[in-house]
Amino acid sequence: MISTLIYGLTIGGILYIISIGLSLTFGSMRIVNFAHGMIYTTGAYILIAALPLIRSNFFAGILIAILVVIPISFIIEKFIIRRLYGESIDYAIIATYAVLLIGVDLVKWIWGTSPIPLSDPVGKSVTFLTIEVPVYRLIIILVSLTICVGLWLFFKKTIVGKIVIAGLQDREAVRSLGISVDRYFSIVFVLGSCLAALGGVLYAPITTVHPYMGFHILLISFAVVIVGGLGSLKGTTISAFALGMVMAITGRFWGPAAEAMVFAVMAVVLIIKPIEV
Amino acid sequence: MGRDVKARFRDSGGLGVILIALGFILFGSATSIHRTTDFIIFCIFVLGFDLLYGHMGRLSFGHMLFFGSGAYAAGLLVRYVTPNPLLAILVGICGGALVGAILGPVVVRATGACFALINLAFDQVGYFLALVAFAKFTGGEDGLSLTFSKVPFLNIANPKVFFGFALFCLCLTYYFLKRLTSSPYGVLLRTIKENETRAQFIGYNTYRYKWVTFVVSSSISAFAGALATINYGYVNPSFIDPTRNVEVIFAALIGGAGNLYGAILGGVSYMVISNYLARYIPRWEMFLGIALLVLVFKFREGIWGNILSVWKSRTQTGG
Repeated sequence: MISTLIYGLTIGGILYIISIGLSLTFGSMRIVNFAHGMIYTTGAYILIAALPLIRSNFFAGILIAILVVIPISFIIEKFIIRRLYGESIDYAIIATYAVLLIGVDLVKWIWGTSPIPLSDPVGKSVTFLTIEVPVYRLIIILVSLTICVGLWLFFKKTIVGKIVIAGLQDREAVRSLGISVDRYFSIVFVLGSCLAALGGVLYAPITTVHPYMGFHILLISFAVVIVGGLGSLKGTTISAFALGMVMAITGRFWGPAAEAMVFAVMAVVLIIKPIEV
Repeated sequence: MGRDVKARFRDSGGLGVILIALGFILFGSATSIHRTTDFIIFCIFVLGFDLLYGHMGRLSFGHMLFFGSGAYAAGLLVRYVTPNPLLAILVGICGGALVGAILGPVVVRATGACFALINLAFDQVGYFLALVAFAKFTGGEDGLSLTFSKVPFLNIANPKVFFGFALFCLCLTYYFLKRLTSSPYGVLLRTIKENETRAQFIGYNTYRYKWVTFVVSSSISAFAGALATINYGYVNPSFIDPTRNVEVIFAALIGGAGNLYGAILGGVSYMVISNYLARYIPRWEMFLGIALLVLVFKFREGIWGNILSVWKSRTQTGG
């Protein structure tokens, strides 16, 4: 019971870290960003490439992965996403999916197709009411909560965050104040990509690292964003943890159905509250 | 009078049917019959997809679901009930239509990105159902290998006969869609694509039209799926694999979305690339990705759109 709860919170935390970037890009630029999945995969693979060089210091690995992802996401933003502003959403989906395809193939080219397992970087576990809980999972939950609070402060207290929130609500009005919204949105894009890489790195030791890992998690993250209400940060937060619990509880009874259950919940939510965009 | 008959023949789609049939027969005799049958079936799938994307402006990122529903409905019928191929096609179409009709109310309310993603999510569920949940019936990863019975006038085992049959099916689909898209209903579809609110203002219940179109599109895709099952003689989860959705989108884009000739040209182009050029392209997915980027940024009208604009500028300078 408690282990299921911990598991659900872990997955929820990871989903939150990944989905918030998607939600921000969707809310700000009306672009569905499939390239997010590619960034997520890249983060995990950079970690694997970096670990032997830094004597398997996991936390230095996280830093390196995020630092490597920043220029990649900047290039994607500059050459792909920026050209899609104001275009039909369909083209944005296809173009970012193309980026995902290229990224997956590059990863396959460099690291091969076979899955790479990673061991738990902490390795210790605490006993909690007679149940053993790995410390690493607790760390993930803590990190996601920290990011949650951090983002909240970012959007409430800093001027950049306030501009982004204002831009999400009314882009034209912010523009008419003489603020170049697009520049701030590209900051948001890079920020979201960093979070995606962080999610990939954190999740890597729990699952295995393989080239298509981004595709699966991306679909679930999209479900999180849709259930949470498109572009709503509060909704995304709640639905990430809720769907994480759904996955954990389903997985307890029948492992393979966990993913499908998320989409079933999404369908139910859509029937009750259809999206009319 | 003669001119009138000619124009009428062209508008009714008769000319298109003859052109398509001739083109594929030439292509089939120049290359292998079995492979050309595969091309034809894929073209039917692209036509079904493009009814939704090109004509109604809804990009579905999960159309493999309907292709797969048709394939699995046909495959399960043949394995467990009767080996009659014609019945299998019929059941396949009904299976796709049923899935489309059930999902329609959830899916068609959304537009743009949500529409694409919800379809993709359901495709993922369908893939899971076929691969894991009903593995006892569907054979899981191995799929089902099927044998079909003989039907009078239609010996499935003979590739030439099946080629003719598939070509007949493509012409039938083309003719049906030609009539559909030139009717007032087709005009309404384009209105929904351009401006749905305005269509609602005129008094149309666009929700119902979108649902019907969704079901028609999924039925045609399922038709293609059932035909593919018969052509290959087996069905496995790759028929419903969500990562393969990009193929049909690629085909619709390269041919030119929103035009029946464009869809068929696109289907043939994609199949030619993946069957003949893929041998010389070591990194297939990367090639596909780069080609998609080029299509989106530089070649949006597709092959047919470019042919049309060249044609137009010719006739304008000439006249």
